[in-house]
Amino acid sequence: MASTGPPQSLKRPDSSLTREGDQLIITPLGAGNEVGRSCVYMSYKGKTILFDCGIHPAYSGMAALPYFDEIDPSTIDVLLVTHFHLDHAASLPYFLEKTTFKGRVFMTHATKAIYKLLLSDYVKVSKVSVEDMLYDEQDILRSMDKIEVIDFHQTLEVNGIRFWCYTAGHVLGAAMFMVDIAGVRVLYTGDYSREEDRHLRAAEIPQFSPDICIIESTYGVQLHQPRHVREKRFTDVIHSTISQGGRVLIPAFALGRAQELLLILDEYWSNHPELHNIPIYYASPLAKRCMAVYQTYINSMNERIRNQFANSNPFDFKHISPLKSIENFNDVGPSVVMASPSGLQSGLSRQLFDMWCSDKKNACVIPGYVVEGTLAKTIINEPKEVTLMNGLTAPLNMQVHYISFSAHADFAQTSTFLKELMPPNIILVHGEANEMGRLKQKLITQFADRNTKIISPKNCQSVEMYFNSEKMAKTIGRLAEKTPGVGETVSGLLVKKGFTYQIMAPDDLHVFSQLSTANVTQRITIPYTGAFGVIKHRLKQIYESVESLPDEESEVPAFRVHERVTVKHESEKHISLHWTSDPISDMVSDSIVALVLNISREIPKVVVESEAIKTEEENGKKAEKVIHALLVSLFGDVKLGENGNLVISVDGNVAHLDKQSGNVESENEGLKERVRVAFQRIQNAVKPIPLSVS
Amino acid sequence: MGTSVQVTPLCGVYNENPLSYLVSIDGFNFLVDCGWNDHFDPSFLQPLARVASTIDAVLLAHPDTLHLGALPYAMKQLGLSAPVYSTEPVYRLGLLTMYDQYLSRKQVSDFDLFTLDDIDSAFQNVTRLTYSQNYHLFGKGEGIVIAPHVAGHLLGGTVWKITKDGEDVIYAVDFNHRKERLLNGTVLESFVRPAVLITDAYNALNNQPSRRQRDQEFLDVILKTLRGDGNVLLPVDTAGRVLELMLILEQYWTQHHLNYPIFFLTYVASSTIDYVKSFLEWMSDSIAKSFEHTRDNAFLLKHVTLLISKSELEKVPDGPKIVLASMASLEAGFSHDIFVEWATDAKNLVLFSERGQFATLARMLQADPPPKAVKVTMSKRVPLVGEELAAYEEEQERIKKEEALKASLSKEDEMKASRGSDNKLGDPMVIDTTTPPASSDVAVPHVGGHRDILIDGFVPPSTSVAPMFPFYENSSEWDDFGEVINPEDYVIKDEDMDQATMQVGDDLNGKLDEGAASLIFDTTPSKVISNELTVQVKCMLVYMDFEGRSDGRSIKSILSHVAPLKLVLVHGSAEATEHLKQHCLKHVCPHVYAPQIGETIDVTSDLCAYKVQLSEKLMSNVLFKKLGDYEVAWVDAEVGKTESGSLSLLPLSTPPPSHDTVFVGDIKMADFKQFLASKGIQVEFSGGALRCGEYVTLRKVGDASQKGGGAIIQQIVMEGPLCDEYYKIREYLYSQYYLL
Repeated sequence: MASTGPPQSLKRPDSSLTREGDQLIITPLGAGNEVGRSCVYMSYKGKTILFDCGIHPAYSGMAALPYFDEIDPSTIDVLLVTHFHLDHAASLPYFLEKTTFKGRVFMTHATKAIYKLLLSDYVKVSKVSVEDMLYDEQDILRSMDKIEVIDFHQTLEVNGIRFWCYTAGHVLGAAMFMVDIAGVRVLYTGDYSREEDRHLRAAEIPQFSPDICIIESTYGVQLHQPRHVREKRFTDVIHSTISQGGRVLIPAFALGRAQELLLILDEYWSNHPELHNIPIYYASPLAKRCMAVYQTYINSMNERIRNQFANSNPFDFKHISPLKSIENFNDVGPSVVMASPSGLQSGLSRQLFDMWCSDKKNACVIPGYVVEGTLAKTIINEPKEVTLMNGLTAPLNMQVHYISFSAHADFAQTSTFLKELMPPNIILVHGEANEMGRLKQKLITQFADRNTKIISPKNCQSVEMYFNSEKMAKTIGRLAEKTPGVGETVSGLLVKKGFTYQIMAPDDLHVFSQLSTANVTQRITIPYTGAFGVIKHRLKQIYESVESLPDEESEVPAFRVHERVTVKHESEKHISLHWTSDPISDMVSDSIVALVLNISREIPKVVVESEAIKTEEENGKKAEKVIHALLVSLFGDVKLGENGNLVISVDGNVAHLDKQSGNVESENEGLKERVRVAFQRIQNAVKPIPLSVS
Repeated sequence: MGTSVQVTPLCGVYNENPLSYLVSIDGFNFLVDCGWNDHFDPSFLQPLARVASTIDAVLLAHPDTLHLGALPYAMKQLGLSAPVYSTEPVYRLGLLTMYDQYLSRKQVSDFDLFTLDDIDSAFQNVTRLTYSQNYHLFGKGEGIVIAPHVAGHLLGGTVWKITKDGEDVIYAVDFNHRKERLLNGTVLESFVRPAVLITDAYNALNNQPSRRQRDQEFLDVILKTLRGDGNVLLPVDTAGRVLELMLILEQYWTQHHLNYPIFFLTYVASSTIDYVKSFLEWMSDSIAKSFEHTRDNAFLLKHVTLLISKSELEKVPDGPKIVLASMASLEAGFSHDIFVEWATDAKNLVLFSERGQFATLARMLQADPPPKAVKVTMSKRVPLVGEELAAYEEEQERIKKEEALKASLSKEDEMKASRGSDNKLGDPMVIDTTTPPASSDVAVPHVGGHRDILIDGFVPPSTSVAPMFPFYENSSEWDDFGEVINPEDYVIKDEDMDQATMQVGDDLNGKLDEGAASLIFDTTPSKVISNELTVQVKCMLVYMDFEGRSDGRSIKSILSHVAPLKLVLVHGSAEATEHLKQHCLKHVCPHVYAPQIGETIDVTSDLCAYKVQLSEKLMSNVLFKKLGDYEVAWVDAEVGKTESGSLSLLPLSTPPPSHDTVFVGDIKMADFKQFLASKGIQVEFSGGALRCGEYVTLRKVGDASQKGGGAIIQQIVMEGPLCDEYYKIREYLYSQYYLL
């Protein structure tokens, strides 16, 4: 069912469509065996979805982007962004403004509000050369107009793709997306956490089990300590450091976890009056700007914070003061500073680190996941010395503590989450290769008895699966008045909308859909001066049925040809033809027109009676000849066999065709089918047009 | 066969009474809306009482009294215990509306139909959904999916879509297709051909001026009054349309730098706005957008002051001002009191933004010409003093003893019996015996509370006249000790205090406003004193339609667009209902019902349907043609059986029978004219026909607006002499259709 093929280009939407509509392809364009630049491509039944659109925080410029070259952005129908973190949303302006993407983008309300602030800040802060800039402030503003919002649980349908989202618990507004294409459901968790914390709800467990679960594996098989233990360690480290006169640096990303840490610190300070003279600084003007967002979307947070909110704004911190830049920082005694970026790559957190790293009284608390390749990752291993921003090396004397508050699921959460959901296919993304490998092994043993596929594709490595979706149609209206038994035929319009099928009678079309049907009546007048009877006489030679009509209302002589076209003798100089459009009627009328024109051009010829009365037998012979000739032209080797059967041999396969019944016998199913269809069609063509259409 | 659907109105048909309907789908009973009006007349609820226990789910559409007012009462007294579904704003604002109703009522009467506790507990089992969330019911309702959709009108307002087996039943009342400042327009139009549509005829006969014109008139008349040194009173609802009005005023005040004060006065004003601030995702796109870009919350009101008690308003220095006060009906609440004060001054203006409920003071004042004088009842709640207090305390003692006695005797069934028989005391007797009744020592005389006027209850004030209209039956009885009071009220109030303190941080989130709190925490025995007085209405009375409902014309066009297979009309005056019914019979669909109260109508679709599987073999030979959202193909198939026994369609083994060609498509003459013109053919309309080139004419016969709704089979007649052009035009005409 699933296989990982070699990396292949996905730029062939058409070929994949015709090849096999039931093939589902999932390709990580980023976050495959790595953390950062989340971007997962998925395609099924000609519908294409991109989950997330992030950058890799450890790289800059184009190198930080996911592998967009692998896909054709113009074919993507929907782009779903789970949350506002840079590694999930920061390449969005680039993708929207600098590529051929023309689909629709969705994210939650809170994510959209913070997205703008965060990326504007990112653009300002990232000090790269102009040509390395992926996009500017204007691109972000323009992208805002294209982003649409979706509320949790709200079901939307775009182009036959149905999707909705669940609370993910990772940061404010974080969502897990469930996508349903023609009954095949795919869950993309993004970053999620099943643990309720001070302000966020835990991730929900979806009501329906997905067919595929694309799940993050950041923490692999690690287990988190209980929240209260971590909180205690965190506050203890800070308390002991400042009581020894040291300074505490907390490098944290401006939004998301930082709010949680501030809530903890503020609460701790409130409960410890002796600490009131120790300042806590929070160096993020961005976070301050985002506060309005945090205050507004309280409905996305948990009950606890909403109850607190009722009395006072819990995000209005009493013991924490903002810090604009290092120039405004008066470093005179013990203090706690929370600053971004979390990886200590540059910026204020790095400046402070450089100032404080050589003093052993100081401490650095790393509160979240750190990405490979950043200084924060380096110092966790407590090297003897570090390289400062100015290129000099300095001894690393300060204590480094790693206390994870990052709201990613740990192994216990992941495994219970998957146990509840029981998806038959699990795709791991967003995790370092080693962690992911360990998680994969552990999950394989855990789900060994369930025949669950667990796959961890690398970037650009496609996972292909096949889903045999059963197509069900609903027969409605007049056509369904009686449920047919086996062997009866059903004829009607098959109407497809999205992935639902309905079969109905043409007359019901306007009842069950917005489509309507029409009748086109045609009336054509032809100049004709001859006798009306001549036309009738001539037509009788061609058509079986030419009936005079009782001329009650029209009071002109008229007759009906082939029960379809009415010919009227309008005046001495004109005749008129009336009929309802339909290919056969059109043809009949054309023949009448030709005939009339001929009559008016020529003098009536002597009619050759004998030709007109052709015997049935002759007709039959002629038809047989035609059938034979056509079959030869199609299959080449056609011989007359016994009992008047035809023997058709193609590439060594032989088929026997019974001309009377149309039955075909052959070893080869394919040939049999082809001959049968060909014969049917030839017969339809050769046989005279039946008089009555039923 | 289709899903069985029955609709039984319980209240609110052929009139403007509160809305409440029973919709049962395959035996699963939905109560859609559970409304009451400002009179709180239990007789409205009799039909509901009969069916309350059989109801399986309650759906609420809007957060106002007319749509959910009876919920607490029904839950407590009528045995309604089903889960309730609504959107988050409907839940929140509905709760606040009910608080406001209760507190307003309690202030002026011995209101005992329900208590704050009842409101809380009624709203406790509300499941909150978001717009277009497909919620799958389970248990008895297995297979039914309910989904709220945007209705406009009020914040969180809902059009309910109930789906079973692919058939939609849509309940859409009080929707608004127009986009407003606060809200987006309804998405009702996006539903096409539902099996059943239940809608209201409330506005079928009304037509509105354009929004801009109406807004301008609204502001003009207000400013005129303010500049003429008058006050403006806007009687409003608690948390519904008032939000839109506030936005209009706020915006105008900001633009024009006006500084006339605006006050929003309800018992729950500040919590209303606090909650509304966090409902941005439910509001219009422009509000959401402005927040995303500038982080300016539209409800950080700069010009509107929120007040929760009238004494605060009285502290405001004199001068022209605008007060938005609840209730819109003027029957109770702050608006009533302020009206009585202001009506006598010709400089003032009372501006009604919605039609008053039937038989309320507001409706009377909206009459043309308005009455010169109205009689009103001024009621005040005053603490008990002297003898009355003694009597009350004695009564409390007696009750206490009785309780103790009962408790010693009682088994549960006895309690029940007493509850049933003791009509006069009513159900409030259901007191948890573990809770001690209000101890008399709490009942110390209460001085200087929120009411400082003491009127001696024994002597009717000289201004009082014979009670005429509006008439309040003062059911108080007198005995030797004074007014007979219903002690249970106070007992429950005592409970309230415990409950309320517990609930701080729970349901109320501690946001009970002081005014409300003062009433709840006020355990002082008190009573209501009423006096009737005649108010000379000298002030200006204006009614402007800010109800935010689609008007008659739009309703009709929306209905014909939605084109339901069956249509049920409810809620609206008899004339409006009849008018809309006739209209829809002619132009929308042949099945239009307008049932009476208690009349069950069966709107089960007579639609036949069965499911078949489409085999791969068949589908591989089907070539679809794309038409907008649809893809259409003609199929001829043979019925077979799959392994699981269901029907499946297989390709025919015999040559397919021929069939009439179907022209699929909808051609608009004007579009076709454009098309022909682009092909270089001279076209013009003349005498209802399209003349193409020199000779050929095209006509559309048979009006599309016939019975059967929507578009029916189009008849197009093409006439012309034999010529090249004829065939060319026919070619073009065919190209507009899909021939199957």
